[in-house]
Formats: sequence, structure tokens, C-alpha cells
Amino acid sequence: MGRELTTDDFSKLFELQTQRLGEAHFLVMYWAAQGEDLDCRYNITNTFDDMKRLGITRTKQTAVAIVESLAALCFIEIREERNRKNIFITTYGAKALEALVLSGRFVPRASGYLEEHAKT
Amino acid sequence: MTIGIGGAGSKIAAKLDNGAVLVNVSETELNKVPGGGRRILASVHAARGQFKGSRMNPEIGHDAYQSIRRELLDMAQGDVVFSSTGGGTGNGITTGILNDLTKASDIATADKTSFGLILPYAKLESSEFVNNTIEFLTGPLAAAIDSGNTGNIFLFSNKKKFEEKVSEEHYNQELVDSLRVFLSIPDKNDKYRLLDGHIDHEDFALFMSKPYFNHFTYFDYDPKKPFGEQLDANSNPYLLEPEAAIEALFLLEVPKGGDPTLFYEILQYFASKDVSPIYSVIENPDRQKPQVTVSLLYSRKPAELVDDFNRISEGHAQAKVKKSLDQWVELEKMEVNLEKEARRAVKQRGEGEEVLATLRRLGKL
Repeated sequence: MGRELTTDDFSKLFELQTQRLGEAHFLVMYWAAQGEDLDCRYNITNTFDDMKRLGITRTKQTAVAIVESLAALCFIEIREERNRKNIFITTYGAKALEALVLSGRFVPRASGYLEEHAKT
Repeated sequence: MTIGIGGAGSKIAAKLDNGAVLVNVSETELNKVPGGGRRILASVHAARGQFKGSRMNPEIGHDAYQSIRRELLDMAQGDVVFSSTGGGTGNGITTGILNDLTKASDIATADKTSFGLILPYAKLESSEFVNNTIEFLTGPLAAAIDSGNTGNIFLFSNKKKFEEKVSEEHYNQELVDSLRVFLSIPDKNDKYRLLDGHIDHEDFALFMSKPYFNHFTYFDYDPKKPFGEQLDANSNPYLLEPEAAIEALFLLEVPKGGDPTLFYEILQYFASKDVSPIYSVIENPDRQKPQVTVSLLYSRKPAELVDDFNRISEGHAQAKVKKSLDQWVELEKMEVNLEKEARRAVKQRGEGEEVLATLRRLGKL
């Protein structure tokens, strides 16, 4: 049996996971947080539409893969609500998003869906 | 005639030639040099009158050159000029001569000036000497060699002096004695019985007028051993090591009744190096064993020549910076909180600050 993981190990793991995230992951977490802040449900379909509009991907499969990878890392939570898969950022995801913001690697870009929602 | 410029150049020129003309910017230094002939004070004034030295600054030497330029150029024709490359006076005045020679056209063989340059021992001598030498070798000397307007250039090295801790007086005497052996070649051809070949004064002057570096040496020649091995083992310790020879000259002295054919082995050695030397064989009754005096003319780009000096100079500069820091600079230990600095940067950029604010509002940070 291997040794138990220490706090340092967890920190290192978190750092490595965060380093591997790309712009698309960054935006999904950001939009999820923004949606929650606006009290607006943000789901996988909205994610795909926003990514397509920004030229990040043209296929829904890719958008789904990005969302699922974030969910696998426990950075977001996907909740089935009224036949929609809504996305919520977790506290781990918030930490990862914070780390990405501080690293300066990515710049926030607006979600068309959330902008529309904010107007109403 | 021989000309000595600056302190080091004057001491050697005066030892070699009682009639040597000695040049300096300092009257005191001029009068301190024993021997030699006429003394020329190169005039250069500071605010408080004539300089009493050139502070290791070649610009002062070069300014002083203007006051004696015409006279010195006339005298240097067909002569040997001795100078150090590290100090201010020798470096500066010799730079002036070399620059003028570079610009000259059609210098007759008999009027070519040879130079005996004393290079510092980079490991132990001052960094100013080393830096001045680098400037000199890559600047005026390189241009003069390219022009083809100089005679032989002897690159004397202070290495032996510093490594064996020899007094300056003793070292200069040995250097001059060594040079005398080489310069006596045409006289020996006049004086002793010729067994083969001939190097007369004209041949020797022609050889001396070629614009290459000259490495000469002499040693007892053992005909049972390959000449090349003996030559390699007996390079002149007062000169920089030679590169592959372009031209060569040798004098073989054999004892009375000695074998006059020993020189063929030496000729074969040079033939294997694609060099056709001028040579002579004489019978010297004062010798117990054969002795050979060899001179190799080689070309080495000054840029390559200064590689060693550059390495040392960089080392000097690094050591100086380190010493200055150790002595004068106290660096405070900076307590840097990287996270804090990153937050400050995000705030400054503006981008991302809103994201963090959102996360805080949600209570997830």
C-alpha cells in the first residue's frame, strides 16, 4: 500500500490540474459563476452557443467534453433541472478560476446568453 | 637604430642598443632608464603642466604622439620599435605610428618598421593593461597587419616573468640576450666559415621586412632526434607560442669538423610543412654541439590572438563587480508574497478583477 497523500501533495495536484486548463475551461467556469451571480441558470446548450459564437469550437461534442472534464475535476457541478443540464461552479472551481485569473493566462470574454439575460 | 616607447619599451630598447632613442611623456621616467641614447619627451599637457605619466590611458599617449609624430615616423623607418601594449604611453604612441603606417603607401623593404610588443601576463597583471592590449591588438595592430606595411612583429610575453617570479631587470636582460642571438645571424654568416647556404644582411633585412609575427628560438640540435620534436620542445619562452609557419629561416652552427650535412633533416622537416626556409650552415669553433637558431613567420588574426585576453578580461570584470557588491552594497532581503503581487497586478490590469469579485459575492472564495 502506498503512502498517504499529504496536504502538499493535494496542493501540487491542484496546481497541476489548474495548469492544464485551457481558455475554454476558464470561460465555462467564469460563465457558470456569472450566471449564478445573475441568478440565471446557465446550461450546456448555452455553453455551446457561446463557444461557437467566440470561434472556440463548432461542435457540441467538444463543448460537452470541456464541461464534463471540469465536472470530473469537481470544478463544476452539473445539475439536471427541468430537463436542462445546468452548470454551477464549486468552491474548488472558484479556487481554480481565481488561480487562472491571477496567472493572467486568460482574459474573460462575455457570454452572449448572459449579456442578453442581463438586459431583460 | 632601435626605438623604445614608454617605460617597458625603453628599458628593453636601451639594453639592446646603446644608441636607442627613448620616448616617454614623463621626463622623470625617461631619465630613470639606464643606457640608451637620445631621449625624446613627448609633449602633452594637463591643466597643471606636462604629464608625468599617462595613467595607463592610451589616449594621453596618443595625444603626446602628435608632438613628435613627424620626427618619430622618420626615425622608425627600417628600425625596430619596442613598446608594451598595456600601458598608456607605449600603447598610445605606438598606436599613432601603426595608424600612420597603415595609411602609408609604397613603403620600401628597407624602410619597413619592425615591432617588439610586450604583452601583459593576463592572469596577474592589471585589468587596464589587459583591456588596453585587447583594444590595441584588435584595432591599430590588426589594421597595420592587413595593410602589409609593417615588418616582423615580435610578441613578447610576460608569462615567464610572472610564473617564475623573475625580477624585471633580469627578465629584460634574458629577453634581450635571446633577441641578440636571433639578430646576430647575418653577423655570424660574415664572421664564421660557411659550410652551406648563406644568409647575408640583405637576406636578413628582407626576412625582417615581412608583415608577419616572428617567433624565433635556438637550441642544441641532436641529429638523432626528429627536428620537429626538438623545435616543439624548445619554443622561446619570452615569446607567444607560434602558429603554423608560413616562412622560416634557420642558422645551423656546427662545431669545428662537425657534420655539415645535418641541415638536410631540418630542410625535410620544413618541406613536410610546405615551407621553404632560407638557411645557412656555419662552422663555429666555440661550439661543442650543433646549435640551431630558427625563426618562424606566422600569421594569426589579432581577433584570435585576443581570445585569451578577452577571457581573462571578462573574468576581471566579473570579479570587480562581485568585489564592489561585497564591499559596498547591502541588499535588503525582500519579502515578496507572490499571491499578493499577482492580485495587485490583476487590479492594475483591471481584467479579471470582476471575476474575483463575482466569486467573492457568491461566497465561494
